[in-house]
Amino acid sequence: MAVLVAAGLLGCRGAGGTTAGCTGAESTATPIDPPVMAFLSAARALHHEADLEQQGGDVAGAVKTLERLVRMPAPRAVEVDEVLADGYARLAELRLQQGDLSGADHDVQLGLGHAQGATYFRGHLLEVGGLVEEARAGALADAGQAAQASEAKTKAMALLEEAVHVQEQVIDHALADGGKP
Amino acid sequence: MRRVAGLLVLCGSLCMCAAPSAEAPPATAPATAPAPAAAPAPAPATPSAATTGDDTPARRQARRVAAGAELDRAQADLEASASDCAAACRALASMDRATTHLCALADDSDDQRRCEDARQRLTAARARVRASCGACGP
Repeated sequence: MAVLVAAGLLGCRGAGGTTAGCTGAESTATPIDPPVMAFLSAARALHHEADLEQQGGDVAGAVKTLERLVRMPAPRAVEVDEVLADGYARLAELRLQQGDLSGADHDVQLGLGHAQGATYFRGHLLEVGGLVEEARAGALADAGQAAQASEAKTKAMALLEEAVHVQEQVIDHALADGGKP
Repeated sequence: MRRVAGLLVLCGSLCMCAAPSAEAPPATAPATAPAPAAAPAPAPATPSAATTGDDTPARRQARRVAAGAELDRAQADLEASASDCAAACRALASMDRATTHLCALADDSDDQRRCEDARQRLTAARARVRASCGACGP
């Protein structure tokens, strides 16, 4: 329940057509530690700032704003891990958009450290990881490095396949009566 | 399915809330309402129905409290259901994107098999989400 409350605080972000961070709103008032609440509030504000920068075409500005988010002092809480996982996924997407593949891959790895188990956030990070490797495969193929391109493609397929499996579990859990919070 | 159940419970609660006013005058009704001119004079030889049997004010109040609690539970169920559907729709969208990219990369028979497997999983998941939640938003 607390996770859902945190997710609701983070709210949806629609910039760039992404859906990460668009977590289910839960109106139930569950008490959360003030430091966690403060972190979630700051994260929401930074996502909003990044939205505005992205809408204005300032991708580099959005990246800097999200870097501030993932570097904030973070209290230890499940909700905070979800916000960080989501923040890294968005950062990775933006870096991918900028062609910074190694930076995007680094963000995906850091994000996965905050997303254990079958959660939307983990599935989304795996999806973005797959896109990063897909882009790498394309770049390597264009450069005539067929063997490395094939390796990146294999990695991309494995990540995308894993993303499908994780999100399938997320759906099963969300729709099962036993998955009720 | 759970959403439907929640709605049914909610409806049940509302019906319970409405029931007392159908059976007896509301508590706020004026006690000395003017009677129609042609109406016979009331004959209060026996105690009012509102103060006897199962329909004492205390029992009506208890039923209202119980109905209110049931309404709260139904609302919580509805909110949980909406939250579950939002989560399912988000996951479905991610699954869809991942499958699209997976299949775009498939270029040999093994890759095609993996693509087909992902597509089947996606189709099944989409059907489940639709059955439980209806259509996902844009």
